[in-house]
Amino acid sequence: MSAAPTASKLASSPASPLTARIAAEFAAAGNGAHAAERQRALQALTDTGLPTSRDENWKYVNLRPLEKVRFAPPSAAARPTITAADLPAAVGKSRYVFLDGAFEPSLSSTNTQPGVTVKAASGANVSPGASSNGGSPAEVASLGDLRFALLNEAFATDGVQIEVARGAQCDTCVELVFVATSEAKAGASYPRVNFKVGANAQVGLIERHVSVGSDANFINCAVDVEVARDASVQHYRVQQTGARAIWFDTLTARLAENAKYQVHMVNLGALSARSTVNVQLLGQRSEVGVFGASVGGQNQVHDTFALVDHVAPNARTEQGFRGIASGRARVAFNGKVVVRKGAHGTDSSQSLRGLLAGTDAEIDVRPQLEIYTDDVKCNHGATAGKLDDNMMFYLLSRGLDRETALRLLKWAFLEDVVSKIQVPELRQQIEESLASRLEAPMPKESL
Amino acid sequence: MLKIDNLHVAVGDKKVLNGLTLEIPTGEVHAIMGPNGSGKSTLAHVLAGRPGYAVTAGSITLDGKDLLALAPEERAHEGVFLGFQYPVEIPGVNNVYLLKAALNAARKHRGLPEVDAFEFLTLVRGKMQLMKMDESFLSRGVNEGFSGGEKKRNEILQMLVLEPKLAVLDETDSGLDIDALKVVSNGVNTLRSPERSVVLVTHYQRLLDYVVPDHVHVLVRGKIARSGDKNLALELEKRGYDWVIEEAA
Repeated sequence: MSAAPTASKLASSPASPLTARIAAEFAAAGNGAHAAERQRALQALTDTGLPTSRDENWKYVNLRPLEKVRFAPPSAAARPTITAADLPAAVGKSRYVFLDGAFEPSLSSTNTQPGVTVKAASGANVSPGASSNGGSPAEVASLGDLRFALLNEAFATDGVQIEVARGAQCDTCVELVFVATSEAKAGASYPRVNFKVGANAQVGLIERHVSVGSDANFINCAVDVEVARDASVQHYRVQQTGARAIWFDTLTARLAENAKYQVHMVNLGALSARSTVNVQLLGQRSEVGVFGASVGGQNQVHDTFALVDHVAPNARTEQGFRGIASGRARVAFNGKVVVRKGAHGTDSSQSLRGLLAGTDAEIDVRPQLEIYTDDVKCNHGATAGKLDDNMMFYLLSRGLDRETALRLLKWAFLEDVVSKIQVPELRQQIEESLASRLEAPMPKESL
Repeated sequence: MLKIDNLHVAVGDKKVLNGLTLEIPTGEVHAIMGPNGSGKSTLAHVLAGRPGYAVTAGSITLDGKDLLALAPEERAHEGVFLGFQYPVEIPGVNNVYLLKAALNAARKHRGLPEVDAFEFLTLVRGKMQLMKMDESFLSRGVNEGFSGGEKKRNEILQMLVLEPKLAVLDETDSGLDIDALKVVSNGVNTLRSPERSVVLVTHYQRLLDYVVPDHVHVLVRGKIARSGDKNLALELEKRGYDWVIEEAA
């Protein structure tokens, strides 16, 4: 399958000055491996254009910085020296580190788990959903917005391909660390992951995004996940890029019969972070959990658009989001569930909650449902509000000072989602990062 | 000594307390009774400093300190404790975390060092036994999924750990079965001492069989209409509130 979206759905501005510049940078950069695929991706992108703020699903994130970034990857010569000490403490059984999208063997430790094959090299550049094997789910045209994934495909230098054999078990097999070092105007970072899980396997994948050196990077990440029948996957994604970073992300996942996939997305860093999630439930009784926690302050924008597409009957979706916005931050989560004709017995629940911790902050949480069949169960709840005054008074009446009480309530607010992280060391690291984010002095007007 | 003098309180446009005057000497237990809407809960909340109540006249002092000038957390540091009629559920905050944070906040105010984890657990375990609470309560979210009786026991547990100078218990007896009432009363009696005052806000005389008050006051339309000893509660149980309301009018 080509990653091209259905053009009619995504009316945009083809052959805009932006796509013209992308094409020019593409031509100048030279194509390297997989030239034909890259050229096709570029062509598809030129045909559809990148999203603009006029697109309903792209109105929260600021797309203007794209006009100033360099789309081609940076030159490796300019890269600062990076050591393991610059990176978060390792959590998985193996670690693969990428600098501006290029694999860095000296910072990596190779996987030795049986049944798990990791290919991290420039040869691993594979289109999302490009290859398929016997255990793969049947392909169905995606409803998702893959335009930024096309941009990734056109420019990505290296990628990582992880294949898990039938029946393999490994909870914290692989940790991927994507480090952005380049200034946005000097070059872009394109993390690229292809994760294919065989039948009956049970695995975990940890994926981190950080900045070292410059904090003003342009990162455009594409991750593709395929879960074969009866397999179970825990996928942890932690975005902690620099304070001026622009981070785009496209996650696609396809689930076969009885497959179970849970993705946990923690957004802490970046000036602007946008995730576009597109999960297809292709097999009966497959189950997906999309969980997000986001803490935005100052002028940060965190925007997630999570689409779950129920193609097969009797499948389940759970979406949970907790976002906190303080300062002038904007935190958005759009959770869309589409139930196609024939997907009877669908069971979906969405609990999307935002917390306003500043008078100039903004929260947008929106559940969306499109249902084309009978006999479905779809629950949704979305709230955006301030901290509960009763809870606040209760804590104060016990002698806790205002700042501690605020921090505690914010913490408790996120706990619903964070408690689902099943890797203790990772959870602890995330909790520490959250705690330090919540440590900042809070606005007094909250009570 | 708690001194409430000519206290007037409004909630929005509504006057709820209309010149309430009351003195509770240190070491005494006073019961505040009265019909629905007489201002009992308002008094409890105003003592603890809940936002949303406008004090339009009068004063409240605890051992000479002006309580009305203090924020809720500062009142707690001065030794005021409110046992909530409807204890708040806070999922995601551990009961044990709140207990420890509250105790250390009080100790900090008194210039004492923080308790370490071992001392703290020893202390809490003893109090939990008294309240007939299972240790699993400690790791649960604050009041999360607790039954009505469990919530009230949890309030008294917090009170026992914090050892307040002034405990204000707002209808702590409501919703309790007889066994739970005994446990809760036992907890309150444990705290009775010459250094502490207790204000029991209640509808019913039943609690006062177990926690015997030194004085009983009847609140009508935001004022003390009648005061007496424990026999006044018994008389109210028999005759109802109407005669006090009529006398007050």
